[in-house]
Amino acid sequence: MAEKRLAIWVVVEQNQGKLAPVSIEVLGQAVRLVEAASALSGEVAVVLLGDQVEDLAEELSAYGVDQVYWVDDPRLKHYQNDSYAAVLQRLVEREKPDILLFGATGAGEELAPTLAARLSTGLAAHCTGLDINADGQLVMKVPAFGGRVLGEIFCPSTSPQMASIKPGTFTVTERRVGRGEIVREDASSLLFDEDIRLEIMDVVQFEPSGLPLEKADVVIAGGYGMGSKKNWGLLEQLAAELQGAVGCTRPALDEGWTAGEHTMIGTSGKTVRPKVYLGCGISGAAHHVAGIKDSGVIINVNRDALAPAHAYSDYCVTDDAKKVVEALLEEIRRTKNEDDSG
Amino acid sequence: MPELKFTEAQEMLRKAVREFVEKEVLPIAHRIDVDNECPVDVFKKMGTLGFAGVFVPQEYGGAGMGLTERAIILEEISRHAAGFAMILMTHHLGVEAILAYGTEEQKRKYLPDLASGRKIGGLAVTEPSGGSDVGGQQTSAEFKDGRWVLNGRKCFITNSSSADVTVVTARTGEDAKGRPAFGAFILEAGTPGFAPGREENKFGLRGSGTGDLLLNDCEVGEEALLGAPGNGAKLALATIAKVGRTGMSAISVGILRGCLEEGVKFAKERILYGKPIAKLQAIQLEIAQNRVDYEAARLLTYQAIGLKESGANCDAEIAAAKYFSTEAAVRSAKRTIDLMGGYGVMNDYPVGRYLRDAMATIPSGGTSHVMQLVIAGQTLA
Amino acid sequence: MEIAVLLKPVPDPAQYDKIQIDPATGILVRKGLKTVINPEDKHALEAALQLKEQHGGRVALIGMAPASAVETFREGLAIGADEAFLCSDRAFAGADSLATSRVLAKAINKAGPFALVLCGSTSADGGTAHVPSQVGELLGFAHLTHVIQMEISPDGRATVRAKMENGYRESRGRLPLVLGIRRELNTPRYISLMGIMAAQGKPVHVWSLNDLGLDKGKVGLAGSPTQPGKLYQPDMKRKGEVLQGEAREVAQRLVGIFRSAGILG
Ligand SMILES: Cc1cc2nc3c(=O)[nH]c(=O)nc-3n(C[C@H](O)[C@H](O)[C@H](O)COP(=O)(O)OP(=O)(O)OC[C@H]3O[C@@H](n4cnc5c(N)ncnc54)[C@H](O)[C@@H]3O)c2cc1C
Ligand SMILES: Cc1cc2nc3c(=O)[nH]c(=O)nc-3n(C[C@H](O)[C@H](O)[C@H](O)COP(=O)(O)OP(=O)(O)OC[C@H]3O[C@@H](n4cnc5c(N)ncnc54)[C@H](O)[C@@H]3O)c2cc1C
Ligand SMILES: Cc1cc2nc3c(=O)[nH]c(=O)nc-3n(C[C@H](O)[C@H](O)[C@H](O)COP(=O)(O)OP(=O)(O)OC[C@H]3O[C@@H](n4cnc5c(N)ncnc54)[C@H](O)[C@@H]3O)c2cc1C
Repeated sequence: MAEKRLAIWVVVEQNQGKLAPVSIEVLGQAVRLVEAASALSGEVAVVLLGDQVEDLAEELSAYGVDQVYWVDDPRLKHYQNDSYAAVLQRLVEREKPDILLFGATGAGEELAPTLAARLSTGLAAHCTGLDINADGQLVMKVPAFGGRVLGEIFCPSTSPQMASIKPGTFTVTERRVGRGEIVREDASSLLFDEDIRLEIMDVVQFEPSGLPLEKADVVIAGGYGMGSKKNWGLLEQLAAELQGAVGCTRPALDEGWTAGEHTMIGTSGKTVRPKVYLGCGISGAAHHVAGIKDSGVIINVNRDALAPAHAYSDYCVTDDAKKVVEALLEEIRRTKNEDDSG
Repeated sequence: MPELKFTEAQEMLRKAVREFVEKEVLPIAHRIDVDNECPVDVFKKMGTLGFAGVFVPQEYGGAGMGLTERAIILEEISRHAAGFAMILMTHHLGVEAILAYGTEEQKRKYLPDLASGRKIGGLAVTEPSGGSDVGGQQTSAEFKDGRWVLNGRKCFITNSSSADVTVVTARTGEDAKGRPAFGAFILEAGTPGFAPGREENKFGLRGSGTGDLLLNDCEVGEEALLGAPGNGAKLALATIAKVGRTGMSAISVGILRGCLEEGVKFAKERILYGKPIAKLQAIQLEIAQNRVDYEAARLLTYQAIGLKESGANCDAEIAAAKYFSTEAAVRSAKRTIDLMGGYGVMNDYPVGRYLRDAMATIPSGGTSHVMQLVIAGQTLA
Repeated sequence: MEIAVLLKPVPDPAQYDKIQIDPATGILVRKGLKTVINPEDKHALEAALQLKEQHGGRVALIGMAPASAVETFREGLAIGADEAFLCSDRAFAGADSLATSRVLAKAINKAGPFALVLCGSTSADGGTAHVPSQVGELLGFAHLTHVIQMEISPDGRATVRAKMENGYRESRGRLPLVLGIRRELNTPRYISLMGIMAAQGKPVHVWSLNDLGLDKGKVGLAGSPTQPGKLYQPDMKRKGEVLQGEAREVAQRLVGIFRSAGILG
């Protein structure tokens, strides 16, 4: 009998015919894991559920995977935990992969624990690191207390070993030349109408305007210390001058100063890693810092010399944020003018 | 002597009030001071949570707690906005007078609305001719054809223009020895002949309105009389001691905590000679003194209130608490301003307001002179 | 409507900067941290109380925590819940989300029946966001998490909006349900003084492993499929160079920093 290979599955997410970026990020890490642990001869498969998503199956096959398990059915058009978990449970029980990875999106945060409970196995949440140790065991690094603490998690005695990964944790992988095998599964043997208890009525998603935070080279982040919506406008001007994007903390979001939820940075929001992060009026709470810690240069302006934000910064300014931002705007505009005329 | 220890329910109360104050009062504390306006909506919210009727029994629509719980509430509000606490503190004066001296009918009529904060209460004793000198009151109440007719002017009355129900003292005649006798009356806003007069412009405890109440042939029925006809001065003094002075004391403890915390924050933030000024010993001494003033005031205040609640005769202890705490608050606010250098004088920081508020706590409920007289009187007796 | 609210006592998230790991033992030091109701659980409780106000019924708090957490449950009673069930036993220590969910599901069944189980979508401390779904699975109820809007009619029909990236998903179903609530759903009420007084007389039941009739091998660390390895604190400290001077000078320095990072041409 052939030696069992280490099988890593990535459950990908698609919304209205589009792959979630986190799926590609996780897939990239899975491929890297297998390549790094060459002694173990592993393989990577992705599982794609949806309705008429053949093109996505094709696309996925190009990311260096060995297989694409593709289940197509009108009942799988939208993610829904009952239907998706039922299909995945049957597939996993049949194929017995060793490792199962998910993106920790709104849907992933529901589907992964649902499946883990059905399979009575362990799930590590929001991993910031994934490794395979010498025993072929998955070492999952998970955050707690808003990122103040990291812990290693193992799943030694049950299978599969499951993990979810927050968007922005790993970088996306490039497409490869070779193609994985597309295995079209028969939905009728994996999903039964009795499985489904909840009916999806509506799915609404909007496309946020402007440069997404996670793609910006400069992130100007504002916190509660900005003080007003009017002052917030200065951050937007500054971001525009620097061709960057404006991010925020939760209190600033709650005050209604910001462009919306999609601009919040931290454990419950985005993870960013720009070349320069400039924080203005931000205290530097663990929940926020967890989302910026991998940035290139970190600068903070806070009038409190002892604000925790200063300790997480390469450069800090102890002063009124509005004043500093105004001066910075002026300086940038001045140097631009000089550049133009000179 | 056991340690000062609050019950689990009192600790829960403190936490709940603090959360309320930090969310609802702190953000408007500066504005209350600048605009000198009572945020009525926030007062009503406090009413629905039971603050307005904290020590009123549940049968009259109150929370059924006591004076210690009331002091916790006043302290927590005054940590950030003593002027706003003053409104509640004075409201309680009117509530207590009716609760302690009212007939069953009066209690049923007034307490549910007052305890829930739907109506605001007050107590009017001081007059141009008599503050410290209670006997100097000139406002008169004449009994004619089964009705009381009131005439006169009250001054320095908190909630004068916002109160719906005010307990007003007035001279009803003379007692057997020929000394003036006073009665207390429950007057509702809008009663003909009863109206607020000029509004003072105070430098401290702003937000709580203080002003005159004018009585011009104000006619009320017998049911408006609170307590016995000659009992008004006693009623006023007892209410002021039990609820007024303990209340001012609790407000001062709140201000003291404000001074301590703001001082500490500033000392850690302000960098001089390359390090926070908290590292300078001179500054450390100021912080230590702020701490001691706060702790001592807190102990005296809650101790006096505990004695009062146990039914002890403790006017001197209450006077001591009021005297010490209000004076300590002034000292501590000034000290904190000094510690902050030029910043202390800037209105960007709240400590200047704390000093003004602390100053205003001294006359309210009886001046420091009068408090010392009460203490000395009892000590020398 | 009979509603269970899962309430987790957590160290106050405002103090997470103070959390340390003892270098000698590698154990988390949470001494001196205040314990509070997990923030999102307050929103779950608020939703439950609103439903009770509309439809009548009872709201029970259920949680797994050390016995010292009684005070936190008393706070939930002061907010307005009717009674509390606290599962507390040495054997529960070290539980992962599945082992936790087993205890909670068992307690829900024992204290029930409930038509609706509400909980936060994510705790502030462990923060796995697993418990809503796992309790739902173990109870055999349909479940949704990240709930930002919901409508539940007395006949048991439910329309629920769950947040997703830049949008939401709306589902329809029937009770019984387990719902993980997000803070967008409502604004929790303040604790009233009357609530604090009433809480003193409300029952708090404390249940042990035996009371729940659970197998020791299914709970706590022993019953957890995930096992913790070492804990550490990510070192996020940077050099923290202080830029001094007038705003204008600072601005010039900042422009220099942007330039050397390849911004501004
Ligand atoms: C550093 C660290 C890392 C961890 N990593 C993992 C991991 O990767 N996988 C894993 O399975 N476990 C992990 N755990 C353990 C996990 O946090 C605990 O098992 C916890 O008891 C349940 O999960 P949670 O707090 O994450 O709950 P969540 O699922 O985030 O909580 C959602 C809601 O469930 C309810 N709830 C949760 N716990 C309770 C409770 N005890 N009582 C009442 N209601 C409750 C609350 O309403 C809460 O708002 C970790 C713990 C630490 C300290
Ligand atoms: C479960 C949970 C999840 C969370 N997730 C997130 C998350 O994903 N992202 C997030 O951001 N938060 C999150 N939070 C909230 C987080 O804990 C902090 O409360 C938040 O990050 C603090 O935001 P802030 O720094 O803007 O406000 P504050 O902490 O209020 O800090 C304001 C700062 O501004 C300074 N300041 C004030 N005025 C000025 C001025 N004029 N000039 C300069 N500085 C000034 C002050 O000194 C202070 O340091 C979460 C909380 C919980 C409980
Ligand atoms: C903010 C504020 C709110 C108030 N709210 C109310 C209210 O709601 N209802 C109400 O009835 N009153 C209220 N008052 C009035 C307050 O009770 C009086 O101001 C106080 O009793 C002092 O009286 P007075 O102002 O007439 O001063 P006076 O009595 O004229 O005192 C003048 C000076 O003489 C001193 N003095 C007086 N008697 C003696 C003595 N025997 N021995 C030594 N020194 C003495 C005083 O200490 C003071 O230094 C309020 C006052 C303030 C400042």
